[in-house]
Amino acid sequence: MIEPRHAAPLLALALAPLMTGIINRTKAFFAGRQGPPLLQAYFDLWKLLRKGAVYSRATTWVFRAGPMVGVATGAAALLIVPLGGEPALLAFPGDILLLAGLLALARFFIIAAALDTGSAFEGMGASREAQFSALAEPALLLSLAALARLTGGLSLSDLFRDITPAAWVENGPALALAAAALVIVFLAENARIPVDDPNTHLELTMIHEVMVLDHGGPDFAYVLYGAALKLWVLGALVIGVLVPWRGPNPWANLAAVVAGLFVLSVAVGVVESCMARLRLLRVPQLLTVAGVFAALAIILLRR
Amino acid sequence: MSAWIDGVLVTLILTNLAVLGSSRLNACIRIIALQGVVLGLLPILVGEGAPTIRMTLLTAATMGLKGAVFPWLLLRALRVAGIRREVEPFIGYNWSVLAGLLSLAASVWLGGRLPMPETARSSLVGPVALFMIFCGLFVIVSRRKAITQILGYIIMENGAYAFGVVLLEEIPVLVELGILMDAFVAVFVMGVAIYHIQREFDHVDVDQLDTLKG
Amino acid sequence: MSASWLFIILLAIPTAGAAACLAARTPAAALWTVFAGVVLHATTALSAARRVLALGPMASNGEWFLLDALSAWHLIVMALVFVPASFYAITYFRDETASGALSLRLARRFGALWFGALGAMTLVLISNNLGILWVGIEATTLLTAFLICLHRSPTSLEAMWKYLIICSVGVAFAFMGTLFVAASASRTLEPGDALLWTKLLDVAGSLDRVMLEVGFIFLLVGYGTKAGLAPMHTWLPDAHSQAPAPVSALFSGFLLNSALYCVLRYLPILERATDYSGWAPRLLVVFGLISILISAAFIIFQHDLKRLLAYHSVEHIGIITLGFGLGGLGVFAALFHTLNHSLCKTLAFFSAGRLGQVYGTHDMSRISGALRAAPLWGLGLFASLLALIGVAPFAIFMSEFQIAKAAVDDAAYVPLALFLLGGGVVFIGALRHVVLMAWGAPPDGTRPERACSCEWLLVWLPLLALLGLGLWMPHSLYDALSQASAIVGGHP
Repeated sequence: MIEPRHAAPLLALALAPLMTGIINRTKAFFAGRQGPPLLQAYFDLWKLLRKGAVYSRATTWVFRAGPMVGVATGAAALLIVPLGGEPALLAFPGDILLLAGLLALARFFIIAAALDTGSAFEGMGASREAQFSALAEPALLLSLAALARLTGGLSLSDLFRDITPAAWVENGPALALAAAALVIVFLAENARIPVDDPNTHLELTMIHEVMVLDHGGPDFAYVLYGAALKLWVLGALVIGVLVPWRGPNPWANLAAVVAGLFVLSVAVGVVESCMARLRLLRVPQLLTVAGVFAALAIILLRR
Repeated sequence: MSAWIDGVLVTLILTNLAVLGSSRLNACIRIIALQGVVLGLLPILVGEGAPTIRMTLLTAATMGLKGAVFPWLLLRALRVAGIRREVEPFIGYNWSVLAGLLSLAASVWLGGRLPMPETARSSLVGPVALFMIFCGLFVIVSRRKAITQILGYIIMENGAYAFGVVLLEEIPVLVELGILMDAFVAVFVMGVAIYHIQREFDHVDVDQLDTLKG
Repeated sequence: MSASWLFIILLAIPTAGAAACLAARTPAAALWTVFAGVVLHATTALSAARRVLALGPMASNGEWFLLDALSAWHLIVMALVFVPASFYAITYFRDETASGALSLRLARRFGALWFGALGAMTLVLISNNLGILWVGIEATTLLTAFLICLHRSPTSLEAMWKYLIICSVGVAFAFMGTLFVAASASRTLEPGDALLWTKLLDVAGSLDRVMLEVGFIFLLVGYGTKAGLAPMHTWLPDAHSQAPAPVSALFSGFLLNSALYCVLRYLPILERATDYSGWAPRLLVVFGLISILISAAFIIFQHDLKRLLAYHSVEHIGIITLGFGLGGLGVFAALFHTLNHSLCKTLAFFSAGRLGQVYGTHDMSRISGALRAAPLWGLGLFASLLALIGVAPFAIFMSEFQIAKAAVDDAAYVPLALFLLGGGVVFIGALRHVVLMAWGAPPDGTRPERACSCEWLLVWLPLLALLGLGLWMPHSLYDALSQASAIVGGHP
């Protein structure tokens, strides 16, 4: 008998690229364009996977490992992130730290792969990514710690199970702060506006895109797919906090969360249509704000 | 209701950090105005049951003064005296925010050691009041312009006010109005003083007011 | 006359006076209005004080107001500062009114703010509600700020700004302290009564001690800033030196005391709540000694006459605070010292102001032969400075001697040694300045100043009073001081 918690990771693997498609369609709608088809991300992946890869003689195995580790960690994270109040496939106390560790591992390998090319542009992107993630990671951990403090759970599954409408009524301000911190981390980690502009064509202003300039073919497909999984995972955290209602039917709950993720994608598209990217100097401030939000949430919950 | 009070107090903290981090005087003044409006909500939230005349009066007076009149006075001083719009801090914005966070931690620690009376509607109010006093002092000493010193004074005043409203249910309304009146006159007098200083010196940089020594 | 009417009249006179000043037709009329109003107010205040000292405290208007021996004593001192200072203002501004330097607008503003300060200080002295007490002190800051820069100049604006900001911030601290004290009573008192001094004193034993102590630290720092206790005194020399002489006299003579009075109100509450452990008085001793020593250091190397006097104020406020901290005889002596210092310091600022007009400067190196250039005011400065540094047989010597004796009684030898050290340094440092200013040849071009007979009164009355009080203390004065010090001591 297949249960929702078995289905959730499979669903994620299948639907993650769709989120990118929805974001792009939303942006196209706001710009008054037709825009690429919703499934464009899948077409891209299919196209890239059929291509051959070109490797510079300067690169080593690290360069090839980066994209694969990205996909692997994303897939592993799907196993511990619960969707719709049901426990995830894997749940154990402390898997909060595992999630942060998986994200850090992926980031480490992407950065290492970028540095491995020896390109000045990629080195610059890697340096920015390292700087910003050094600020985003504490914010993520602090907000998860706040949620753990609130619910008393040390596993993601327990933690999101206990975020209910009643918890919102009781500790609204703290939850709102933690959610705000998570949203900022979500935008920053996935290289969205206002931290990074995925559509920029100027290497000097890029953060994430510039690191993967030298990847091609299947490697680039892995990069894109890994990014989509990360978008899904972090989006699931945001939705888990923001949508606390649960019905009696676990399948319906799962469907609701997936719908929520799509709505979140639309929201990201709206944000990207309305805002400009922050100056690079301001980005650390934004991430500090996320950290402050999370820290305040913990202070609020200290009783 | 306690969650709402906490929400207000958290907003107060955030507005202070925003003041520490923003580089435009205009923005600072608007943030302080927002702080005043949020502060005005406190008397209503603290009271149980339907709002009484006293609460309504206080809320109206606080919101009107701190949310509208103060910002108006300050923005007017800014305009009339032709003050440049940068904050020009001695200590950079990022370091200021960091100092704010450190003082927040310190005030949480200090405030946690105070034996709060049972009448206190939120245990967060002690730390927030201390934090706002630290913050106000920090703004006063770390910024160059005289007008930011007024902002610091308002922040301190707001902190003490929040402390009083949340901690003590029934301060006689006459006393409260006297306190508000004093705050108003203080900001008014300081605004006038800034105007005169600007006319006499052609600047309002307090670090250059250093003729008198010894 | 019923008590409540008395309080209303005490507050109504300054209000009406301020309005009258704003309507004055000429600068001289404004100044004379000030004098008349202040005399009227002083008469009322003195009669009220006499009644309180004879018949016991008066409370009224739903316990909003209270006049006991302590506030009566301060009312007397206030009257003795305000009346001469208002009269002196007329003579001080005479040349300026003649030359048009004091325009009608300035005179009106001066009169209104002067009355405002009077009203605010009266409010401080007669209020029983600690919140209103705070409101009054903050009001004095705001009302007197523009008195400092009556004549607008870069330095006076600078002094005014420092005064305004430092004192407002300090007084905001005092506000926090007031709230802490009120919060300490949340378990024992009805919420509406938590700010009433009489109620707090009644239940002092059951107040929350930690809250009370935290509150007192805030209060001491806050009101101490306004009172000019070191190290929060930094605004004081600037404001005193830049303000017109009558205003300086007012600041030094009573503004500082009114702030210290607020601290005094909390002292008995603290003492009772802490079972007379002496925690709060020890803090006062520390701040008093710091003030004495810091001001002594600044007095030696001072060049400006009015700044010298300002640092003397810091020193004497320190001595008064020390006396309150020592307790017992010290409190009695400190209250006595309050009167002596106010009398003496107003005279000193009167003289310094007039000498400044004669010499055109307050730079002490350019003031010499004051006894010849302006015999009356030179004498005033000479004698008042001698009295200030504690020369016998002036009354200041007596009160300082009593404070030293209180220290010996208390076996507080370290404070005593530091007090004597500071006093000694001040004595030597200031004596050098005095001698150089009083004797010698006046610089060329200074015409000997002729003083009118009323000015003789301004100099001789305080001097004779100081001399007389130093030699003999009337029984009524002794009685008043004992009653007031009993309140500060807090023993039921």
